Amino acid sequence: MHMNSFKWFVFAAAFVLCFLSCKQHHDEYHGVMDKIEAEGKQYHGVSVSSEDYLQGIEMIEITEGDHTFLIPERKSHIKSFKCTECHTKPLKELQKGLYKKAHWDIELDHANSNTMNCITCHDANNMDALRSLTGNNIDFNRSYNLCNQCHTKQFEDWKGGAHGKRIGGWAPPRAAMTCVNCHNPHKPHFESRWPARYNTQKVKERE
Amino acid sequence: MSSKSKKWFSLNLGKKDKHSENGCGCGKTSGGCGSHDLTIGEETKKDGFDQVFDVKMSRRTAFKQLTASLAIGAGAISTSCSMISGDETKEQAQIDWEEQFKGNYKLMTDEEKKATVDRLVRSYQLRTGKTLNMSSKNAEPDVLFGYAFNISKCQGYMDCVTACVEENNQDRNSQMQYIRIHEMKDGKGFNFNEADDNYYHEVPAEGHFYMGTQCFHCDNPPCVEVCPVQATWREDDGLVVVDYDWCVGCRYCMAACPYDGRRFNWSKPEVPEAEVNKNQHYLGNRMRKKGVMEKCTFCVQRSRAGKNPACVEACPTGARIFGNLLDPNSTIRWVLENKKVFRLKEDLGTEPKFWYFMD
Repeated sequence: MHMNSFKWFVFAAAFVLCFLSCKQHHDEYHGVMDKIEAEGKQYHGVSVSSEDYLQGIEMIEITEGDHTFLIPERKSHIKSFKCTECHTKPLKELQKGLYKKAHWDIELDHANSNTMNCITCHDANNMDALRSLTGNNIDFNRSYNLCNQCHTKQFEDWKGGAHGKRIGGWAPPRAAMTCVNCHNPHKPHFESRWPARYNTQKVKERE
Repeated sequence: MSSKSKKWFSLNLGKKDKHSENGCGCGKTSGGCGSHDLTIGEETKKDGFDQVFDVKMSRRTAFKQLTASLAIGAGAISTSCSMISGDETKEQAQIDWEEQFKGNYKLMTDEEKKATVDRLVRSYQLRTGKTLNMSSKNAEPDVLFGYAFNISKCQGYMDCVTACVEENNQDRNSQMQYIRIHEMKDGKGFNFNEADDNYYHEVPAEGHFYMGTQCFHCDNPPCVEVCPVQATWREDDGLVVVDYDWCVGCRYCMAACPYDGRRFNWSKPEVPEAEVNKNQHYLGNRMRKKGVMEKCTFCVQRSRAGKNPACVEACPTGARIFGNLLDPNSTIRWVLENKKVFRLKEDLGTEPKFWYFMD
């Protein structure tokens, strides 16, 4: 009789032990998405920061919708800013052909001529600022407001972080390139080119 | 670290200032170096010397272990007894000895991690006369790394691959690359069998799209399960890492990975001295040796310092997004919540932390 109860005890102990040891291997979440959602609720921030990696880049803070982040300051990087240093006379007079032609390097390759010309974005009366479709002033530092008049989907993605490129690191504060840091506004598409590298080993095999 | 808490047997060659009970004066006591009583202490887990010797092993492996250890021991003794060899040689022998008997990085305390990193840095200094910076920074709380890849943006420029090779000190001879960029035909879907991974023409090619694969840092990594020596594991911030000094090179993990994420060093990895990235992490881009596994670590040396991995920083199209999955305001979380994301072979239950999406 004693022997029998001892046997049962061993069985029970083994059963409990098995449960405990199996438990260790299973995550308490069904999948990684559940885990992210649950554990993200107790997020307290991180000790690392991107600030060191942003030093030396002049940034401005913008708030668009729910998103607040940094973008590079633009005006100091435009070679011939302020524009009014040359554009002392209204555009109409300059275009009469009395003056030397300027801006040789700029060729507009952005939408078609029905949609866009210079003054779709530039203000003929105030060359130092950009101009919205309805005639409002847009600062060169916030030129994304010009682009988002047409490119609304890209703008949403950019605000959220799905479009565009991060500056610094993943750690806060968030800093991102603005539209014109990657796209030439006069010719916004990316050119095709040779890849940065290819496998020479494979090239040898091909020959 | 005091000699008491040390989990391996110390030689303390030529270090007269630090007297240790275990220190062997080579030949001065009877029985020779191997016969000392080792006081390991009352550890709850096995480490260092114990991990190596206190295991059942076959005659063959026992001989192998013994030969390797004897070779190092003999080297150490001959240098310590030699009148000619200098302090530096002795120091190198000491480092080699301690490195041989160190434990698994996963089980090390922070001091032990720092000690092995210091030894590796010193060893590099002794060998090359150049100094490097190696970190043993642990995972940060409240961080889980995740990655998103925009298929509609990638143009196949391969800047990511170049940056990765340079950042992570990958072998130049075998052209090891952690990242593969697959050129796929439009309309064929993800057909890896027909994808061209070694395209040799201007990109993007008409009628093709590009997508990249690398280690996906699965949350339920099959490679970790199969490792017979636990040389690879998942860190708390989600990175799946390898201890190159604990790996035995069986390549089980390579076979277990459903994503072709792991690479093996078939030959001694070689990087020209001038091109070595000196900003290193023990679990990341420090120099590997022949016969061990390696793979993408999301650039642990960069990501744990708050930076983006080299591939993210190098991508000219912004197709690569990296961040902290636990931060509800991070851009990676916005992508997961607002774009139509998917992962490769989701049905396997590996839970990769690498999502694909389109504009």
